[in-house]
Amino acid sequence: MTLAPAADRAVITGLGFITPIGNDRATVGASLRAGTPGLAPVRFLGNPNLPVKLAGTVKEFSVDSPLWRDWQWPARYDIPRETLRSLSPHGVYAFCAVTQALADAGLTPADIAHDDRTGLFCASAGSAMLLHHNLAAMHAVRGERGNPLGVVSSISGTLNFNLAAHFRVTGAVVGFVSACASASHALGYALDELRLGRLDRVIVVGAEELNAETLVPFAAMRALSAGTTPATASRPFDADRDGFVGAGGATALILETATLAAARARQPYAELAGWGQSADGHSVAMSHPEGVGLRRAMQRALADARVTPAAIDYVNAHGTSTPVGDRAEALALRAVFTDIGASPVISSTKGLTGHPLSLAGAMEAGFCALALAEGFMPGNPHLVTPDETCTGLNLPRATLLRAPRVVLNNSSGFGGSNVCHVLRVL
Amino acid sequence: MTPTPAPFDPPQLSRFPAEVRAAYHQFRATGDATAVQLVVLSAVREHCPRKTTLAAEDSAATAGLRLVEDLAYDSLAIAELVFFLEDLFEVSISNEEILAIATVGELRTFVARKLSEKFAAPA
Repeated sequence: MTLAPAADRAVITGLGFITPIGNDRATVGASLRAGTPGLAPVRFLGNPNLPVKLAGTVKEFSVDSPLWRDWQWPARYDIPRETLRSLSPHGVYAFCAVTQALADAGLTPADIAHDDRTGLFCASAGSAMLLHHNLAAMHAVRGERGNPLGVVSSISGTLNFNLAAHFRVTGAVVGFVSACASASHALGYALDELRLGRLDRVIVVGAEELNAETLVPFAAMRALSAGTTPATASRPFDADRDGFVGAGGATALILETATLAAARARQPYAELAGWGQSADGHSVAMSHPEGVGLRRAMQRALADARVTPAAIDYVNAHGTSTPVGDRAEALALRAVFTDIGASPVISSTKGLTGHPLSLAGAMEAGFCALALAEGFMPGNPHLVTPDETCTGLNLPRATLLRAPRVVLNNSSGFGGSNVCHVLRVL
Repeated sequence: MTPTPAPFDPPQLSRFPAEVRAAYHQFRATGDATAVQLVVLSAVREHCPRKTTLAAEDSAATAGLRLVEDLAYDSLAIAELVFFLEDLFEVSISNEEILAIATVGELRTFVARKLSEKFAAPA
């Protein structure tokens, strides 16, 4: 009988950002410190009457066409023809984020290729746009011909398929589909794999498209803000919030055992100290009105990281700016922190980025890692009048240039899925 | 040669050189099968999975190039090329027909024959 390897700590050694507030770590950090929003006017389906006026847009990319030949991306990323042919639009973002994160971690593609101890965990809802395009074409010719790469470029595993093939990942490859909690699940289970000694390194990547097919259906759910001003449309926890602002992009994190990072002489951004999850058991789309599921996920994450609520300096809230969701999270935060006399700084960076759905948890874990490494706590620059349910919560408007030591990152998704991470300074 | 206007200007060719789009238009307008050769050659170059040295101009050497051995085509790239031609010319190509094709020249001959069946009497 062989003993399982001793549990090792997990650290974040690389970050790659393709986000509405910046396409590299320096720009993202500057946007978070200055409170610069990444929202811009959008028009979908050529229809000015839609109640979707703004979105967290991805700059430097043009991936609106269903034909990859039309796509454009920054020249600093070399996407070979054999990879491009089966990518989705959000796969292009993800490719660039992973490339960026590997370089940031001091790794070359050759370092991870065919390395049985490196895995790839992805979060993606697939490409509704490509799926629609391919299936409409199928119907038009009554199934007599079709794009042979239609399946792998559009279904919800498209990120895992493509990135694992391109980067020659041999440790493990898997995708997570829990809507707005997907990327947080990917990161949480990546931590478990390292703790179990099954892998030494996991590339975690979340990505989301920003197009009519992804975003406009949320208008039918009455979930989107009708706001037209970037400075106020996404205003989590505000009494006058009226829905979320959609966003696209990708974020990649390189999660490694502390032992491997030390052997490579890398200074990590932060430790991923624990995670917790729960389910509301309540509604297909809405949060539990009292936030009981999210409360349980936060408490489980704190317990897993062996920290008390009073030890948390900063909470990156899920806070999407929807009336129901923010209320539930505010009540959950009060139950976990206020009721025991703790008062961490709380903000939702979705005020700046909008809500990138499947990407959210990875992007915000990346923001938390930056906050820990660079010593700041993002604020709530769009908050004017806090909702009455936020009584007792510490929601500063401006970013605090004060270093947190332990932070909590919240995510919630459809079906009542709640996932929280605890990250710690090193 | 200047780009030719619609109606024969399909979106699949929007990023191809103007002379390729013009050749496609000429074929669709006149039924001139020789015009198709440039379109097929261009599609072969376009679907190479890796950067290719396949010359832009027609030549006897090009016709003899083998898709898999010389141009690094894999089965997905072949399937993609076949779909591109099917979609562009609105024809269906069977697996048996694909398997019989090994070289660029055989592909061009095959497409010309396939199109002569479909477009024997251009509108």
